[in-house]
Amino acid sequence: MKALFARLTPRSLAGQIIFVVAIALLVAQAVNFTLIMRERNRQHVIGSAAPAVARIVDAIERRDEDSHRPERQRVRFTAAPPPADGARRPDIEQRAADILTELGHPPVTVRAYAEPIAHSGEHLWRARNRIDRGPPRDISRLTLAVELTPGRWATTETRIVADRPPLGGWLIVQTIIFYIIVLIPLALVGRRLARPLQALTGAARQFASTGTADPVPETGPGDVRDLATAFNAMRTRIMAMLDEKDRMLGAIGHDLRTPLASLRVRAESVEDESERTRMSETIEEMNRMLDDILSLARAGRSIEPLQKVDLAALADAVVEDFIELGKPVTIADTERTIASIRSNGMRRAVRNLIENAIEYGGSAHVSVTRSDHQIRVSVADNGPGIAQDRMAEMMEPFTRLDPSRNRETGGAGLGLALVRAIMTEHGGALELANRPEGGLEASLVLPA
Amino acid sequence: MSERPHLLLVDDERSIREPLAQYLSRNGFRVTAVADAAEARLRLKASAIDLVVLDIMMPGEDRLSLCRHIRETGDIPVILLTAKSEETDRIVGLEMGADDYVLKPFSPRELVARIKVIFRRVATGGQRVTAPDGASYAFSGWLLKSQERTLVDAEGVSVPLSTAEYHLMLAFVTRPNQVLSRDQLLDITQGREANAFDRAIDNQISRLRKKIEVDPRSPALIKTVWGGGYTLASEVRKL
Repeated sequence: MKALFARLTPRSLAGQIIFVVAIALLVAQAVNFTLIMRERNRQHVIGSAAPAVARIVDAIERRDEDSHRPERQRVRFTAAPPPADGARRPDIEQRAADILTELGHPPVTVRAYAEPIAHSGEHLWRARNRIDRGPPRDISRLTLAVELTPGRWATTETRIVADRPPLGGWLIVQTIIFYIIVLIPLALVGRRLARPLQALTGAARQFASTGTADPVPETGPGDVRDLATAFNAMRTRIMAMLDEKDRMLGAIGHDLRTPLASLRVRAESVEDESERTRMSETIEEMNRMLDDILSLARAGRSIEPLQKVDLAALADAVVEDFIELGKPVTIADTERTIASIRSNGMRRAVRNLIENAIEYGGSAHVSVTRSDHQIRVSVADNGPGIAQDRMAEMMEPFTRLDPSRNRETGGAGLGLALVRAIMTEHGGALELANRPEGGLEASLVLPA
Repeated sequence: MSERPHLLLVDDERSIREPLAQYLSRNGFRVTAVADAAEARLRLKASAIDLVVLDIMMPGEDRLSLCRHIRETGDIPVILLTAKSEETDRIVGLEMGADDYVLKPFSPRELVARIKVIFRRVATGGQRVTAPDGASYAFSGWLLKSQERTLVDAEGVSVPLSTAEYHLMLAFVTRPNQVLSRDQLLDITQGREANAFDRAIDNQISRLRKKIEVDPRSPALIKTVWGGGYTLASEVRKL
């Protein structure tokens, strides 16, 4: 029920406003309709009772002239109430008693009976009552008997329209006109409101995924415009901060690389060869860590454009580079798998996973698979895998597996964090899972 | 060229310039080390320099124009010292016409190896090899983007290449319709990242064919020349 309601109500701001106003209009029209109906009923009852009451009052006040009236219009005075003739009409009885009381003749009892009669006399009746349009309607004979004082009854007969006058289609027309008058301008206002909000949403999303965004045009109603202005100010400030961060990182990278380069050159003059090798390895590792830190710090601010790339060829190229270096890496034959990605970032992600697999699992097997809704680049190894409770932790920066298994290499523990950042930037994810047959499978998952 | 080739080392960092000059001297080169571009220009005029090692990360706008100046005034090879982070600088520098580059922090042995490769090429009258300069090469519906080491097909889909495939492809597109023997291909491609290229050329050729040929078994682009080697049978436009 709730779900159905949720599905029926529109999600957008303009849609919701229009929806609520439409409902309110409908309710207002319904109330209006009920009031009109009640008033019409009252009028109808008064209209039905009034002629007969008038005749009786007339008869009470000028009884002597009665003889000049036509037979049909006469009022008969009797001691007993007339026999029931047709259905009782308590509404008319009530109304007649009210009118009589108002005119100074409060009755003891009022009886009203209505009996449908044939249409024969209708044209006459219509002519007399100046009803000259509308479809033929059922006519009834109304017998009104009033007990003026106990035991003294006055009775007369008139004709009334049996049913209430129809309301016709005008209420529907009226409702439609209301809707046109109210809802169309509302829809226009809604669009005026929705456009800048959409632009804002788009810019915020773009910002979230790329770290940059175009300024939002400051248009629309005042409060929406204020929001756009505030967003633009925030955007400017965040971008300035990010730019400053990039500049700082660039400077740090440069300033650290120069002494590292100097150290690397000087290391060559060390006489002891094994010492020299170890020094250059350490320097190399420091440089790699510096690279990783800079890359991670810059993640999400990629300037590389998205391109359609054959992911299978990309994985194959990375694997080939490892094979060239004599590493135990294999790849499953794969069809062309085209995805919109940042080629350099994705190469790096695949490379990092393969490096991890070799380091912790001894070898790497790469496969690229495509299903209906995602593309996976998986790197499987035959290592010990990762304990389930440490999986999430492994993707955090500066986390490494048990140091004893680390063989004193492997950088700062930024590899997976960097891969995750690259995947987030692509709208994808990094998934780690222990394989049933042993070893870890790390997968780059992209939306297809 | 004299027995001891004369190198000009241009680097504003004393901490690199001095030990590097010493190292290069110990390895059989005559080295003149200077700190800025203005002095470098003077030295270039005054003495017969065989090769310039230039730190592209030096401050001042002159570093790039110096590179261009060297290329315009003679045939002196240039090797750039650069850092990975400064992508844009590197590309601009290479467009100025450097022959090769090493990434900081570099191994001095590697630098010496690169220098020797360039001298060997000059000595054997080999063609001048310009390092990848961010240019693209269009041939037969394909586009080789050197900056990304990627081939782009006619539909705009990128087909990434391995390092070895890329160097081989670059060798072909820079020498279209020339017959290149296996030795020549090895020589051309081995100038850089030598250790990454000890597999047989034939293997790489077959990998490349799988990627770019319509029918890899009867190749139309990279053709085998009997007794000669391979040739790229296509016009190439440099973009």
